[in-house]
Amino acid sequence: MVPDMTTHGGHEPVFCTVVPPHLLDKLARSDDPAVSGPARRTLVRDSELRGRRRVTSEFRLAAAPAVRAPSDRPLRTIYDAGNRTELPGTKVRGEGDEPGRDATVNRAYAGLGATFELFLKAYGRRSIDGDGLPLDATVHYDENYGNAFWNGEQMVFGDGDGEVFLDFTLPVDVIGHELTHGVTQYTANLTYYGQPGALNESMSDVFGSLIKQYTLGQTASEADWLIGAGLLAPGVTGVALRSMKAPGTAYDDDVLGKDPQPATMEDYVRTGRDNGGVHINSGIPNHAFYLAATALGGHAWEKAGQIWYDVLTGGELSERALFRDFATLTVKAARERYGDGGDEHEAVRKAWGQVGVRTR
Amino acid sequence: MRIQVRRTGGFAGIERYAEIDTAGRPDADEWQALAERALAAGQATRPAGVPDGFGYEITVDGRTVHASDPRLPDDLRALVTRVLKEGA
Ligand SMILES: [Zn+2]
Repeated sequence: MVPDMTTHGGHEPVFCTVVPPHLLDKLARSDDPAVSGPARRTLVRDSELRGRRRVTSEFRLAAAPAVRAPSDRPLRTIYDAGNRTELPGTKVRGEGDEPGRDATVNRAYAGLGATFELFLKAYGRRSIDGDGLPLDATVHYDENYGNAFWNGEQMVFGDGDGEVFLDFTLPVDVIGHELTHGVTQYTANLTYYGQPGALNESMSDVFGSLIKQYTLGQTASEADWLIGAGLLAPGVTGVALRSMKAPGTAYDDDVLGKDPQPATMEDYVRTGRDNGGVHINSGIPNHAFYLAATALGGHAWEKAGQIWYDVLTGGELSERALFRDFATLTVKAARERYGDGGDEHEAVRKAWGQVGVRTR
Repeated sequence: MRIQVRRTGGFAGIERYAEIDTAGRPDADEWQALAERALAAGQATRPAGVPDGFGYEITVDGRTVHASDPRLPDDLRALVTRVLKEGA
Protein backbone atom coordinates (compact mmCIF):
# COMPACT_ATOMS: atom_id res chain seq x y z
CA MET A 1 0.00 0.00 0.00
CA VAL A 2 1.18 3.47 -0.83
CA PRO A 3 0.73 6.10 1.88
CA ASP A 4 -1.34 9.18 1.15
CA MET A 5 0.27 11.81 -0.98
CA THR A 6 -0.28 15.46 -0.48
CA THR A 7 0.32 18.52 -2.60
CA HIS A 8 1.79 21.67 -1.13
CA GLY A 9 0.61 24.82 -2.88
CA GLY A 10 1.08 23.64 -6.45
CA HIS A 11 4.45 21.98 -5.86
CA GLU A 12 5.15 18.43 -6.88
CA PRO A 13 3.55 15.87 -4.54
CA VAL A 14 5.50 14.73 -1.48
CA PHE A 15 4.63 12.20 1.22
CA CYS A 16 3.39 13.46 4.56
CA THR A 17 6.09 13.55 7.20
CA VAL A 18 4.26 10.84 9.16
CA VAL A 19 5.73 8.29 6.77
CA PRO A 20 8.75 6.90 8.65
CA PRO A 21 12.15 7.53 7.02
CA HIS A 22 12.98 3.85 6.57
CA LEU A 23 9.77 3.37 4.60
CA LEU A 24 10.52 6.51 2.58
CA ASP A 25 13.95 5.07 1.82
CA LYS A 26 12.29 1.91 0.56
CA LEU A 27 9.70 3.82 -1.47
CA ALA A 28 12.42 6.05 -2.91
CA ARG A 29 14.03 2.92 -4.35
CA SER A 30 10.79 1.75 -5.97
CA ASP A 31 10.82 0.97 -9.68
CA ASP A 32 7.54 2.86 -10.05
CA PRO A 33 8.33 6.57 -10.56
CA ALA A 34 4.88 7.51 -9.23
CA VAL A 35 5.98 6.04 -5.89
CA SER A 36 9.70 6.80 -5.92
CA GLY A 37 9.35 10.42 -7.11
CA PRO A 38 7.25 11.75 -4.23
CA ALA A 39 9.25 9.69 -1.71
CA ARG A 40 12.51 11.16 -2.95
CA ARG A 41 11.15 14.68 -2.91
CA THR A 42 9.95 14.14 0.65
CA LEU A 43 13.37 12.96 1.74
CA VAL A 44 14.98 15.96 0.08
CA ARG A 45 12.50 18.34 1.67
CA ASP A 46 12.85 16.79 5.12
CA SER A 47 16.62 16.90 5.00
CA GLU A 48 16.35 20.50 3.86
CA LEU A 49 14.21 21.33 6.88
CA ARG A 50 16.65 19.56 9.14
CA GLY A 51 19.48 21.44 7.48
CA ARG A 52 17.76 24.74 8.08
CA ARG A 53 17.19 23.95 11.74
CA ARG A 54 20.79 22.91 11.98
CA VAL A 55 22.01 26.15 10.51
CA THR A 56 19.75 28.43 12.48
CA SER A 57 19.66 26.84 15.90
CA GLU A 58 22.03 23.99 16.54
CA PHE A 59 25.18 25.50 15.14
CA ARG A 60 24.26 29.14 15.74
CA LEU A 61 25.61 30.39 12.44
CA ALA A 62 23.42 33.44 12.74
CA ALA A 63 25.69 34.70 15.51
CA ALA A 64 28.68 35.70 13.45
CA PRO A 65 32.00 35.55 15.27
CA ALA A 66 33.32 38.89 16.40
CA VAL A 67 36.85 38.12 15.25
CA ARG A 68 37.51 38.48 11.53
CA ALA A 69 40.52 37.67 9.39
CA PRO A 70 42.26 40.58 7.69
CA SER A 71 41.37 41.03 4.02
CA ASP A 72 44.21 39.09 2.44
CA ARG A 73 45.34 36.58 5.06
CA PRO A 74 43.68 33.63 6.79
CA LEU A 75 43.06 33.46 10.54
CA ARG A 76 43.78 29.84 11.37
CA THR A 77 43.54 27.94 14.66
CA ILE A 78 44.36 24.26 15.02
CA TYR A 79 43.07 22.28 17.99
CA ASP A 80 44.01 18.82 19.25
CA ALA A 81 41.17 16.58 20.47
CA GLY A 82 43.70 14.21 22.08
CA ASN A 83 41.84 11.20 20.61
CA ARG A 84 38.69 12.20 22.44
CA THR A 85 35.51 13.61 20.90
CA GLU A 86 34.99 16.94 22.64
CA LEU A 87 35.21 19.85 20.20
CA PRO A 88 37.17 21.92 19.58
CA GLY A 89 39.82 20.47 21.96
CA THR A 90 43.06 22.12 23.07
CA LYS A 91 44.49 24.95 20.97
CA VAL A 92 47.88 23.89 19.62
CA ARG A 93 48.69 26.37 16.84
CA GLY A 94 47.41 29.84 16.08
CA GLU A 95 47.86 32.09 13.05
CA GLY A 96 51.50 33.03 12.52
CA ASP A 97 52.83 30.52 15.08
CA GLU A 98 55.92 28.55 14.08
CA PRO A 99 55.40 24.91 13.00
CA GLY A 100 55.47 22.48 15.89
CA ARG A 101 56.57 18.86 16.16
CA ASP A 102 53.20 17.35 15.25
CA ALA A 103 53.11 16.82 11.47
CA THR A 104 49.33 16.40 11.53
CA VAL A 105 48.91 19.86 13.05
CA ASN A 106 51.30 21.37 10.51
CA ARG A 107 49.54 19.70 7.58
CA ALA A 108 46.14 20.92 8.75
CA TYR A 109 47.51 24.47 9.14
CA ALA A 110 49.08 24.41 5.66
CA GLY A 111 45.95 22.88 4.10
CA LEU A 112 43.73 25.60 5.53
CA GLY A 113 46.17 28.14 4.11
CA ALA A 114 46.16 26.51 0.67
CA THR A 115 42.36 26.51 0.60
CA PHE A 116 42.16 30.16 1.68
CA GLU A 117 44.73 31.02 -1.00
CA LEU A 118 42.87 29.40 -3.92
CA PHE A 119 39.53 31.00 -3.06
CA LEU A 120 41.16 34.41 -2.59
CA LYS A 121 43.59 34.45 -5.51
CA ALA A 122 41.44 32.69 -8.09
CA TYR A 123 37.97 33.96 -7.17
CA GLY A 124 38.51 36.96 -4.86
CA ARG A 125 36.66 35.20 -2.04
CA ARG A 126 37.69 36.21 1.47
CA SER A 127 37.55 32.95 3.44
CA ILE A 128 34.71 30.43 3.63
CA ASP A 129 31.90 32.92 4.14
CA GLY A 130 33.42 35.58 1.87
CA ASP A 131 33.78 37.81 4.92
CA GLY A 132 36.97 36.71 6.66
CA LEU A 133 35.58 33.82 8.73
CA PRO A 134 38.31 32.42 11.02
CA LEU A 135 39.31 28.89 9.98
CA ASP A 136 39.27 26.34 12.79
CA ALA A 137 40.25 22.70 12.58
CA THR A 138 40.49 19.90 15.13
CA VAL A 139 42.91 17.03 14.56
CA HIS A 140 43.33 13.67 16.37
CA TYR A 141 39.56 13.35 16.78
CA ASP A 142 38.46 10.13 18.50
CA GLU A 143 40.50 6.89 18.38
CA ASN A 144 41.31 5.22 15.05
CA TYR A 145 38.68 7.48 13.49
CA GLY A 146 38.67 6.90 9.73
CA ASN A 147 36.88 10.03 8.69
CA ALA A 148 36.85 13.82 8.37
CA PHE A 149 33.86 16.16 8.37
CA TRP A 150 32.69 19.77 8.43
CA ASN A 151 30.35 20.29 11.40
CA GLY A 152 28.85 23.56 10.24
CA GLU A 153 31.48 25.62 12.04
CA GLN A 154 34.84 23.91 11.74
CA MET A 155 36.74 20.97 10.26
CA VAL A 156 37.35 17.73 12.12
CA PHE A 157 40.03 15.17 11.16
CA GLY A 158 40.56 11.63 12.40
CA ASP A 159 43.86 9.74 12.47
CA GLY A 160 42.49 6.76 10.52
CA ASP A 161 42.71 3.19 11.76
CA GLY A 162 46.08 2.55 10.11
CA GLU A 163 44.71 -0.60 8.47
CA VAL A 164 42.41 0.89 5.86
CA PHE A 165 42.83 4.63 6.24
CA LEU A 166 45.81 6.73 7.26
CA ASP A 167 45.68 10.27 8.73
CA PHE A 168 42.95 12.34 7.03
CA THR A 169 45.16 15.45 6.93
CA LEU A 170 47.56 13.72 4.50
CA PRO A 171 45.85 14.67 1.19
CA VAL A 172 45.43 18.44 0.79
CA ASP A 173 42.36 17.81 -1.39
CA VAL A 174 40.63 16.21 1.62
CA ILE A 175 41.24 19.38 3.64
CA GLY A 176 39.99 21.47 0.71
CA HIS A 177 36.98 19.18 0.34
CA GLU A 178 35.88 19.75 3.94
CA LEU A 179 36.32 23.52 3.77
CA THR A 180 34.38 23.68 0.52
CA HIS A 181 31.41 22.15 2.39
CA GLY A 182 31.60 25.37 4.39
CA VAL A 183 31.63 27.51 1.23
CA THR A 184 28.58 25.61 -0.09
CA GLN A 185 26.80 26.04 3.24
CA TYR A 186 27.28 29.82 3.04
CA THR A 187 26.27 30.04 -0.64
CA ALA A 188 23.97 27.63 -2.53
CA ASN A 189 23.42 25.51 0.63
CA LEU A 190 22.65 22.43 -1.45
CA THR A 191 20.46 19.96 0.44
CA TYR A 192 22.56 16.98 1.56
CA TYR A 193 20.38 14.29 0.01
CA GLY A 194 19.92 12.76 -3.43
CA GLN A 195 20.99 14.82 -6.46
CA PRO A 196 21.43 18.15 -4.65
CA GLY A 197 23.48 16.20 -2.08
CA ALA A 198 25.62 14.64 -4.82
CA LEU A 199 26.14 18.15 -6.26
CA ASN A 200 27.18 19.32 -2.78
CA GLU A 201 29.69 16.45 -2.62
CA SER A 202 30.89 17.16 -6.16
CA MET A 203 31.53 20.85 -5.34
CA SER A 204 33.78 19.70 -2.50
CA ASP A 205 35.64 17.25 -4.75
CA VAL A 206 36.00 19.82 -7.56
CA PHE A 207 37.43 22.59 -5.39
CA GLY A 208 39.35 20.08 -3.24
CA SER A 209 41.10 18.86 -6.38
CA LEU A 210 41.62 22.43 -7.64
CA ILE A 211 43.30 23.35 -4.33
CA LYS A 212 45.74 20.50 -4.85
CA GLN A 213 46.34 21.50 -8.48
CA TYR A 214 46.82 25.16 -7.51
CA THR A 215 49.28 24.19 -4.75
CA LEU A 216 51.29 22.04 -7.18
CA GLY A 217 50.96 24.49 -10.08
CA GLN A 218 49.54 21.76 -12.31
CA THR A 219 47.62 22.06 -15.57
CA ALA A 220 44.48 20.00 -16.22
CA SER A 221 46.48 17.43 -18.16
CA GLU A 222 49.15 17.15 -15.45
CA ALA A 223 46.70 16.66 -12.55
CA ASP A 224 45.83 13.19 -11.23
CA TRP A 225 42.15 14.16 -10.63
CA LEU A 226 42.11 11.81 -7.61
CA ILE A 227 40.38 12.49 -4.30
CA GLY A 228 42.18 11.10 -1.28
CA ALA A 229 45.40 9.92 -2.95
CA GLY A 230 47.78 8.88 -0.15
CA LEU A 231 44.95 8.19 2.31
CA LEU A 232 44.69 4.43 1.82
CA ALA A 233 46.93 2.31 4.02
CA PRO A 234 49.63 0.16 2.42
CA GLY A 235 48.06 -3.17 1.55
CA VAL A 236 44.76 -1.68 0.40
CA THR A 237 44.27 -2.25 -3.33
CA GLY A 238 43.53 1.20 -4.65
CA VAL A 239 45.02 4.60 -5.50
CA ALA A 240 42.49 6.90 -3.81
CA LEU A 241 38.82 7.12 -2.77
CA ARG A 242 37.46 8.69 -5.94
CA SER A 243 38.65 9.46 -9.44
CA MET A 244 37.16 12.39 -11.34
CA LYS A 245 38.96 11.25 -14.48
CA ALA A 246 37.68 7.69 -14.33
CA PRO A 247 34.92 7.34 -11.71
CA GLY A 248 34.56 3.77 -10.43
CA THR A 249 38.27 2.91 -10.74
CA ALA A 250 39.81 4.39 -7.56
CA TYR A 251 39.88 1.14 -5.57
CA ASP A 252 38.92 -2.52 -5.75
CA ASP A 253 39.76 -4.20 -2.47
CA ASP A 254 38.83 -7.24 -0.35
CA VAL A 255 37.89 -5.09 2.64
CA LEU A 256 36.73 -1.87 0.99
CA GLY A 257 34.91 -3.43 -1.92
CA LYS A 258 34.92 -1.73 -5.31
CA ASP A 259 34.62 2.00 -6.03
CA PRO A 260 30.87 2.34 -6.76
CA GLN A 261 30.96 5.67 -8.61
CA PRO A 262 29.25 6.03 -11.99
CA ALA A 263 30.70 8.34 -14.66
CA THR A 264 27.46 8.87 -16.59
CA MET A 265 23.69 8.96 -16.02
CA GLU A 266 23.38 5.54 -17.61
CA ASP A 267 24.89 4.04 -14.43
CA TYR A 268 23.19 6.40 -11.95
CA VAL A 269 22.73 4.57 -8.62
CA ARG A 270 19.32 4.78 -6.94
CA THR A 271 19.71 4.18 -3.20
CA GLY A 272 18.45 5.52 0.11
CA ARG A 273 21.76 4.81 1.83
CA ASP A 274 24.57 7.37 2.18
CA ASN A 275 21.95 10.13 2.11
CA GLY A 276 20.68 8.86 -1.20
CA GLY A 277 24.10 8.05 -2.60
CA VAL A 278 25.70 11.50 -2.27
CA HIS A 279 29.24 10.03 -2.36
CA ILE A 280 28.29 7.71 -5.24
CA ASN A 281 26.48 9.79 -7.85
CA SER A 282 28.83 12.74 -7.33
CA GLY A 283 30.95 10.81 -9.85
CA ILE A 284 28.73 12.15 -12.65
CA PRO A 285 29.13 15.93 -12.07
CA ASN A 286 32.77 15.25 -11.07
CA HIS A 287 33.42 13.67 -14.45
CA ALA A 288 31.64 16.49 -16.29
CA PHE A 289 33.97 18.97 -14.61
CA TYR A 290 37.01 16.89 -15.55
CA LEU A 291 35.85 16.70 -19.19
CA ALA A 292 35.22 20.46 -19.44
CA ALA A 293 38.51 21.34 -17.72
CA THR A 294 40.66 19.02 -19.85
CA ALA A 295 38.92 20.13 -23.05
CA LEU A 296 39.81 23.73 -22.18
CA GLY A 297 43.36 22.86 -21.06
CA GLY A 298 45.66 25.03 -18.96
CA HIS A 299 44.98 25.63 -15.26
CA ALA A 300 41.60 24.12 -14.43
CA TRP A 301 40.83 26.69 -11.73
CA GLU A 302 41.02 29.56 -14.21
CA LYS A 303 38.13 28.82 -16.58
CA ALA A 304 36.23 25.64 -15.65
CA GLY A 305 36.71 26.42 -11.94
CA GLN A 306 35.54 30.01 -12.47
CA ILE A 307 32.37 28.82 -14.23
CA TRP A 308 31.57 26.32 -11.45
CA TYR A 309 32.30 28.99 -8.83
CA ASP A 310 30.03 31.48 -10.64
CA VAL A 311 27.13 29.01 -10.39
CA LEU A 312 27.83 27.97 -6.78
CA THR A 313 27.87 31.57 -5.58
CA GLY A 314 25.65 33.29 -8.18
CA GLY A 315 22.39 33.01 -6.26
CA GLU A 316 20.43 31.22 -8.99
CA LEU A 317 21.24 27.67 -7.89
CA SER A 318 18.38 26.27 -5.81
CA GLU A 319 18.99 24.32 -2.59
CA ARG A 320 17.18 21.43 -4.22
CA ALA A 321 18.88 21.67 -7.62
CA LEU A 322 19.08 18.52 -9.72
CA PHE A 323 22.00 17.69 -12.03
CA ARG A 324 20.20 19.17 -15.05
CA ASP A 325 19.50 22.45 -13.18
CA PHE A 326 23.14 22.80 -12.21
CA ALA A 327 24.35 21.79 -15.70
CA THR A 328 22.07 24.34 -17.35
CA LEU A 329 23.39 27.10 -15.09
CA THR A 330 27.02 26.22 -15.88
CA VAL A 331 26.31 26.46 -19.62
CA LYS A 332 24.67 29.85 -19.02
CA ALA A 333 27.56 31.03 -16.84
CA ALA A 334 30.11 29.96 -19.47
CA ARG A 335 28.20 31.89 -22.13
CA GLU A 336 27.81 34.99 -19.99
CA ARG A 337 31.42 35.12 -18.86
CA TYR A 338 33.24 33.98 -22.01
CA GLY A 339 30.80 34.59 -24.88
CA ASP A 340 28.13 32.75 -26.87
CA GLY A 341 29.56 29.90 -28.91
CA GLY A 342 33.02 30.38 -27.46
CA ASP A 343 35.34 27.48 -26.54
CA GLU A 344 34.23 27.63 -22.89
CA HIS A 345 30.54 27.55 -23.77
CA GLU A 346 31.06 24.61 -26.11
CA ALA A 347 33.33 22.66 -23.73
CA VAL A 348 30.85 22.88 -20.86
CA ARG A 349 27.85 22.01 -23.04
CA LYS A 350 29.68 19.05 -24.51
CA ALA A 351 30.93 17.78 -21.13
CA TRP A 352 27.39 17.47 -19.75
CA GLY A 353 26.27 15.76 -22.94
CA GLN A 354 29.06 13.21 -22.52
CA VAL A 355 27.90 12.26 -19.03
CA GLY A 356 24.27 12.07 -20.15
CA VAL A 357 22.93 15.16 -18.36
CA ARG A 358 20.64 17.22 -20.56
CA THR A 359 20.95 20.99 -20.45
CA ARG A 360 18.19 23.38 -21.43
CA MET B 1 21.00 -11.20 22.30
CA ARG B 2 21.75 -10.23 18.71
CA ILE B 3 23.39 -6.83 18.17
CA GLN B 4 23.71 -5.41 14.65
CA VAL B 5 25.55 -2.22 13.71
CA ARG B 6 25.45 -0.46 10.35
CA ARG B 7 27.61 2.60 9.76
CA THR B 8 26.90 4.63 6.60
CA GLY B 9 28.25 7.74 4.86
CA GLY B 10 31.53 9.31 5.87
CA PHE B 11 34.02 11.02 3.57
CA ALA B 12 34.60 7.71 1.79
CA GLY B 13 30.91 6.85 1.57
CA ILE B 14 31.76 3.24 2.39
CA GLU B 15 29.25 1.30 4.45
CA ARG B 16 30.32 -1.03 7.26
CA TYR B 17 28.21 -3.69 8.90
CA ALA B 18 28.88 -6.13 11.73
CA GLU B 19 26.83 -8.14 14.17
CA ILE B 20 27.41 -10.13 17.30
CA ASP B 21 25.46 -12.81 19.15
CA THR B 22 26.02 -12.61 22.89
CA ALA B 23 24.64 -16.10 23.57
CA GLY B 24 27.24 -18.32 25.22
CA ARG B 25 29.79 -15.51 25.56
CA PRO B 26 31.47 -15.19 28.94
CA ASP B 27 30.96 -11.41 28.79
CA ALA B 28 27.27 -11.64 27.73
CA ASP B 29 26.06 -9.68 30.79
CA GLU B 30 28.40 -6.83 30.01
CA TRP B 31 27.28 -6.73 26.36
CA GLN B 32 23.64 -6.81 27.41
CA ALA B 33 24.04 -3.90 29.81
CA LEU B 34 25.90 -1.84 27.21
CA ALA B 35 23.28 -2.64 24.56
CA GLU B 36 20.46 -1.53 26.88
CA ARG B 37 22.18 1.78 27.60
CA ALA B 38 22.85 2.29 23.89
CA LEU B 39 19.21 1.66 22.99
CA ALA B 40 18.15 4.24 25.55
CA ALA B 41 20.59 6.80 24.13
CA GLY B 42 19.59 6.41 20.47
CA GLN B 43 16.74 8.00 18.54
CA ALA B 44 13.80 6.39 16.78
CA THR B 45 14.50 8.17 13.49
CA ARG B 46 17.77 9.29 11.94
CA PRO B 47 18.84 12.60 13.47
CA ALA B 48 20.29 15.37 11.29
CA GLY B 49 23.93 14.77 10.49
CA VAL B 50 26.68 16.90 8.99
CA PRO B 51 28.37 16.64 5.57
CA ASP B 52 30.62 13.55 5.57
CA GLY B 53 29.57 12.61 9.09
CA PHE B 54 28.85 8.93 9.78
CA GLY B 55 25.26 7.77 10.31
CA TYR B 56 24.67 4.81 12.66
CA GLU B 57 21.89 2.24 12.82
CA ILE B 58 21.95 -0.08 15.83
CA THR B 59 19.56 -3.02 16.11
CA VAL B 60 19.27 -5.09 19.30
CA ASP B 61 16.97 -8.11 19.02
CA GLY B 62 14.92 -6.38 16.34
CA ARG B 63 14.73 -2.98 18.04
CA THR B 64 16.47 -0.24 16.02
CA VAL B 65 17.81 3.15 17.06
CA HIS B 66 19.73 5.78 15.08
CA ALA B 67 22.46 8.32 15.70
CA SER B 68 24.69 10.66 13.65
CA ASP B 69 28.12 12.18 14.05
CA PRO B 70 29.23 14.41 15.66
CA ARG B 71 26.50 13.88 18.26
CA LEU B 72 27.04 10.23 19.02
CA PRO B 73 26.22 9.47 22.68
CA ASP B 74 29.09 7.79 24.58
CA ASP B 75 27.27 4.50 25.17
CA LEU B 76 26.40 4.23 21.49
CA ARG B 77 29.99 5.03 20.53
CA ALA B 78 31.27 2.32 22.87
CA LEU B 79 28.84 -0.26 21.46
CA VAL B 80 29.46 0.68 17.80
CA THR B 81 33.24 0.54 18.29
CA ARG B 82 33.09 -2.89 19.97
CA VAL B 83 30.71 -4.48 17.49
CA LEU B 84 32.60 -3.20 14.44
CA LYS B 85 35.84 -4.45 16.00
CA GLU B 86 34.78 -7.80 17.45
CA GLY B 87 31.72 -8.67 15.36
CA ALA B 88 31.55 -10.34 11.99
ZN1 LIG C 1 32.01 15.67 1.57
